[in-house]
Amino acid sequence: MLFSKILRTGLATEPLGDSSDKFIELVRKTEAEIQRHLGRALAIREVDAGSCNGCEIEISGLTGPVYDSERFGIHFVASPRHADMLLVTGPVTRNMEVPLLKTYDATPAPKLVVAVGDCAKHCGVFKGSYAIIGSVDQVIPVDVFVLGCPPEPTDILNGILAALDRRPHKK
Amino acid sequence: MQSLFFLMLIAYGLGALAAVMGGGTAIGRWLVALGAVVGAGAGLALGATVIITGTSFALSVPELLPLGDGLALRLDALGAFFLVVIGVGAIPAALYGAGYTAAYNDGRASLPLLGAMFNLFLLTMSLVTLADNVLTFLLMWEGMSLASYFLVITESGEERVRNAGLWYIAMTHAGFAALVAMFLLLSGGELTASFVNMRSTSAFLGPLTRDAIFLLALFGFGVKAGIVPLHIWLPMAHPVAPSHVSALMSGVMIKMGIYGLMRVALDLLGGGPVWWGGVVLSLGAVSALLGVLYALMEHDLKRLLAYHSVENIGIILIGIGAGLVFHSYGLMTLAALGFIGGLYHTINHASFKGLLFLGAGSVLHATHTRNMEEMGGLIKKMPWTALFFLIGSAAISALPPLNGFASEWLVFQALLGGFNIPVPEVAVLMPIAVGMLALTSGLAAACFVKAFGITFLALPRSHEAEHAHESSLSMRIGMGILALACVGLGLAPFVVVPAIGGVLNGLGGLPDTRQTFTFNLSVQSPSGFGQMSPTLVMLGLLMLLALVPLAMWILRVNRRLRVSDSWGCGRAGQTARMEYTATSFAEPLRRVFAELYRPTKVLTVEFHPDSKYFVRSIAYKSEIAPLFERLLYDPLLRLVQFAARQVRHLQAGSLHLYLVYVTVILLILLLAARWF
Repeated sequence: MLFSKILRTGLATEPLGDSSDKFIELVRKTEAEIQRHLGRALAIREVDAGSCNGCEIEISGLTGPVYDSERFGIHFVASPRHADMLLVTGPVTRNMEVPLLKTYDATPAPKLVVAVGDCAKHCGVFKGSYAIIGSVDQVIPVDVFVLGCPPEPTDILNGILAALDRRPHKK
Repeated sequence: MQSLFFLMLIAYGLGALAAVMGGGTAIGRWLVALGAVVGAGAGLALGATVIITGTSFALSVPELLPLGDGLALRLDALGAFFLVVIGVGAIPAALYGAGYTAAYNDGRASLPLLGAMFNLFLLTMSLVTLADNVLTFLLMWEGMSLASYFLVITESGEERVRNAGLWYIAMTHAGFAALVAMFLLLSGGELTASFVNMRSTSAFLGPLTRDAIFLLALFGFGVKAGIVPLHIWLPMAHPVAPSHVSALMSGVMIKMGIYGLMRVALDLLGGGPVWWGGVVLSLGAVSALLGVLYALMEHDLKRLLAYHSVENIGIILIGIGAGLVFHSYGLMTLAALGFIGGLYHTINHASFKGLLFLGAGSVLHATHTRNMEEMGGLIKKMPWTALFFLIGSAAISALPPLNGFASEWLVFQALLGGFNIPVPEVAVLMPIAVGMLALTSGLAAACFVKAFGITFLALPRSHEAEHAHESSLSMRIGMGILALACVGLGLAPFVVVPAIGGVLNGLGGLPDTRQTFTFNLSVQSPSGFGQMSPTLVMLGLLMLLALVPLAMWILRVNRRLRVSDSWGCGRAGQTARMEYTATSFAEPLRRVFAELYRPTKVLTVEFHPDSKYFVRSIAYKSEIAPLFERLLYDPLLRLVQFAARQVRHLQAGSLHLYLVYVTVILLILLLAARWF
C-alpha cells in the first residue's frame, strides 16, 4: 500500500533550478544575521492593509515546502504582541488605517516595518481610488520597501535582511 | 470561666435588646454589633480557655426548665472547639453587619427584627455546643434553626425569599424530626437523659439500634450540614439572606451538623462498624465533587459560594469518614489524623467562606446585583474588597501557604494511610476518595479563577459596575480580620494541629496525639512519608519574589514603560461585550461533564420580514438540568401533595360532618377506655 502510493505519486517538491546556489547562500546569510541580531527566531506579523493578495501568495511561498522559512529562523506569529517585525502589503485602505496604526502601536519596540509590493510604495493600480488613504509610509514609518508586483520570495528575504541591518545593535 | 460564660450570655442579650429598642438608628446598629462582638469574643475566650487548660466547664440550672434535669450546660473540648469556630466567624461578621445593614434602612426589611434575631441566632448556636442533655440540645438546636429562618427571610417582601425560607424550614424540620427520633432511641425514650448517661449506656444497645441511631443522626445532621442530596436548601437560602448572615450560616451554622455527627457517632456511640465511616467518606466525596461541579455552572456570586459550602462540607466529611474507618480498625493515630484534618478544615472553611461571603456582600452592596455577568472591573473601584476576595479565593483553592492547603493536605495524608487496612473494600474506597478530592481541588481553583476574574478584572459590564464604590470602614475591617485569619491559620499548623489533637484526646478512645504531631515549623504524618511546612513554603515564596528584581538586574531587562491599548485584533473600539464571560469560561467543563449537567440550549432568531439575511434579534438561552430537584424532590413533593389532597376530603366544611367526627371519636375513646 504505502510503497505503491510512493511509486504512483509524483514529486511533490521540485528542485529550485538555476538560482539554487544563490538562494542557499542567501538563506545561510539570513540565518546568521538573525542569530547575530536576536539570538533566536525572527517573529513576523503580516498585515494585509488592502492588497490584491498577490503579495500574500508570495509571502506564503516563503513558508511553503521550497523555501520553508521556519527552518532558518523566520517565524510568522498570530499577534503583533509577539512580533519583531511587521510585513505590510498593499495600499492602505480607509478601513485598514486604524487597524494598521493599532497593530503598529501594539508591536513592542524595537520594531521593524517592511512594506512589500509596489502598491505599498506608490499604490499601484489603486492609485487615486476613493477607497485608499495612500502608501504605507503615509500611515506608519517604514524601514524597507520591497518592490515588485509581486516580489518573489527571494526579494522579500533580501528586504527582511536589509531591515535587520537597521535594527539597533545589542550592546 | 463562669464570668466569661455570663458575659457571653449578657452581651448577646443586650445586643438583642438594643435591636428591639432602636435597631433602626445608627447607634442601634452599632450596639447590635457590639453585643454580638463581645458575646462572640467571650465565647471564643471561653472555648480557648477550655482547650488550653483541658478542664471542662459545667453549669446546671435545674430551675430554668422544670422538666427533668432542667437546663444542663457543659463545655468539653469538642464543644469548645466549635465555640471557637463560632467566635472566628461571628466577630468579623458582626462588625461587617454594622455597616452593611445600613442599606436596609430603606424599608426593605425590619432592622430591629434582623438585629435581635442575629444575636439570638449566635446565642442559641453557642449554647448548642454547651448542651449536656437531650432536652437542652434539642431546644437550642431548634432555636438556632428558627432564628436563622427569620434571618433568611429578612427581605420577606420578595416571593423568591419567602420560597427559599419555606424550603429551608421544611428541610431543617425534617432533619429535626430525625434528631428527636435518634435521641429517643439513644436515651431509651427519655428526652431528659444527660450525655454522660448515654455515653455509658450506648455500649449496651443492640447493633441494629446503634445502626439506626447512626443513620438517623447522619440524616438529621446531614440536612443541617448540607450533604448531597440533602443540600438543596443551601443554594436557595444562603444567597437571599443578608451577606453577613450568609457568612455565618455558610461558615459556621452548617458546621453544627459536623459537631452533632462527631458528638453522636464518635463521642456518645463511641465509634461503630467500618461501614459507618465508609458511608460518611463516600457521601463526603460525592458532596465535594458535585458541590464544586454545580458551583462551576453558577453565575450568581452568592449561589456559587453556597455550592462551594457543599463542596467544603464534603471535604470535612472525607476527613471525618476516614477517621471513622481507621477508628473501627483500631488504627487510632491515623484516625486522629483524619479527624484533625476534618476539624482543621472546619475552622479554615469558617474563615475563608466567611471572608468570601462578606466580599460578595460588598460587591452586591456596590453593584446591586449578584449576577457575575454584569460585573467586571471592580478591582479599580474597590481595591480592598478585591484584595480580600483574592486572599479568600486563594485559600479556598488550597494554594499554599494559605489555610485551605494545610487542612486539605492533612486530609490527603489520612486517606493515603488507607493502605494500612488490608481489606479490598477499604483499599478501593480510599484511593477513589483521593482521586475525587484531587479533582475537587482542581475544579475549585478553576471556579475561583472564574469568580475573581469575571467579577473584579477587565472592563465593567454594566452601568452599576462602572459606578461601584468601595465598602464602608466597618465592612473592610470585618473582611480584614478574616483575611488575617486565613493567613494565620495557614502559617501556623504547628500550633493548630496539636491544639485539635488535644481536643480529640480521649474522645471515643482516641489517643493523645499532641506528642505525635509536635512540629517545629512543620507537620509530619505518622506513617512518616509526608512532611509539610507552610511556614517554610511562605519563606520560600518570599525569597522567590525577591529573586525577580535580582534576575531582572542580572539580565539587564529594559524596564522603560510604554502604555498602549490592550490588543484587540485591531478593532476600532473595544467594549465590555467582547470580554470573556462566566458562561464562556465554564463552557469547556460543561461539555466535559455533559452527562451530569444535561445542558439544554434554545436559540431563537428573529428575521427581518423581507429577507432572512437581516436579523432583528437573537436570543440564546442555555441551562443545566437540576438533577436532584427533578429526580428526588419533585416526586417527594408530589407524594406529599397527594397525601394532603386525600386528607382534605375529611375537612369538607360541613358542621354536621364535624359533629359526626366528634361523636365517633368520643365513642371510640369511651370504648377504648372501657376495654383497656
